[in-house]
Amino acid sequence: MRIDVYTPLLLSLLLGAVGPRLARFGTPAAAARALTGAAVLTAGASLWALGLLAATLAGEAPSLVAHARAGGRALPEPVPDAVAVLALCLLAVAVGRIVGAVRTHRATRRTLRRLCEGHPPGTELVVAASPRPRAFAVPGDPGRILVTSAMLAALRPAERRVLLAHERAHLTHRHAFHVHAVTLAAAGNPLLVPVRDAVAYLVERWADEQAAGAVGDRRTTARALARAALVAHGADCVLHFADRAVTRRVAALHTTPPRRLRPVAAAILALGALAALGAADATGDLLSLLTGGTL
Amino acid sequence: MAGTTPRGRAERRSPGELESEILATLWATERPLTPAEIQSELGDGLAYNTVHTILRRLHDKNLVVRDADGRRGAYRPVKNAAEMTAEAMHRALDRGPDPIAALQQFVTGLSPEEESALRELLAGGGA
Repeated sequence: MRIDVYTPLLLSLLLGAVGPRLARFGTPAAAARALTGAAVLTAGASLWALGLLAATLAGEAPSLVAHARAGGRALPEPVPDAVAVLALCLLAVAVGRIVGAVRTHRATRRTLRRLCEGHPPGTELVVAASPRPRAFAVPGDPGRILVTSAMLAALRPAERRVLLAHERAHLTHRHAFHVHAVTLAAAGNPLLVPVRDAVAYLVERWADEQAAGAVGDRRTTARALARAALVAHGADCVLHFADRAVTRRVAALHTTPPRRLRPVAAAILALGALAALGAADATGDLLSLLTGGTL
Repeated sequence: MAGTTPRGRAERRSPGELESEILATLWATERPLTPAEIQSELGDGLAYNTVHTILRRLHDKNLVVRDADGRRGAYRPVKNAAEMTAEAMHRALDRGPDPIAALQQFVTGLSPEEESALRELLAGGGA
């Protein structure tokens, strides 16, 4: 219990630090999947671990203490009270952050549904007659691609096909689901924020690779990205944050397609599995503690 | 898997994908286009009949109008729904915090150095 219960917390620190670096190797698809899986496992395990630490406060409950004295046993004190109280506070903050993330997600979905109103249900492309160059995938069943007329006018025919293929890849590979899952994981455990950002970038790379495959030309795909980024940058100050994501994506398209590296994905997932194992083991320890077994 | 799609798949596109592409082509320009103009714009050996069939389907869905601006046989996109969508999008974007920022946007912002690097890339390719 002493060690195991802290394992998920230590591993989430490790995953946040190492996961995004490992993800540079191998295909973006495999890396995004592995990071998402590992983040969800680790977040779940660390929340559970916080719950276990907080639950040791129950060991102080008078009925349990009386029960232990009646049984002639000394009640072990595996976790200092201060740690247990801190865990309880962290757990409350995490739950609050998760609730906030779920609310934001719902609000976004509502907004998106409103954007697609008035367009016939059987069409994939929803155009907005807007001078602001924008393009994004609207997840749903079936998902749709929303592009503004300004964005379409700025691109050449082959580049428009790249844009459509890119957004289509987001929909067919359920990227919104991955991003939502990892966003919730990062809300529950802020140590995983770097993992969330890595997955958000990797799904774009994943869609770029799919688009390059669909149009059969990596250079055209890179040019489509460059042109779209420039026109969006010139016309629209909303997209002012510069994370070098577009130039990194363009550079990646100028190299050969990435190859699958199973060991990398396996290593990332192992971190998540280890966290879950630690939490499971600590659970057993706490149960035996509360039911009067030996540690 | 990403990157393993063989070349040449560009020729095999579903009717749904072609619908999106032709609608996108019509939206990209101010003037109405004939099926032949769309065919040459899209290139890559798309049959005239295919373009025609897709246009008829878009017309049935009330997404395009025929004989637009007095040009016989030319098509342009229907604006109503697209303008409503634009209004809803502007409202959502201006309300802030940006509800769409969390989505998978095609592109994100640029720093000045990135901007000039991308301009160089586009100028250098000769296209």
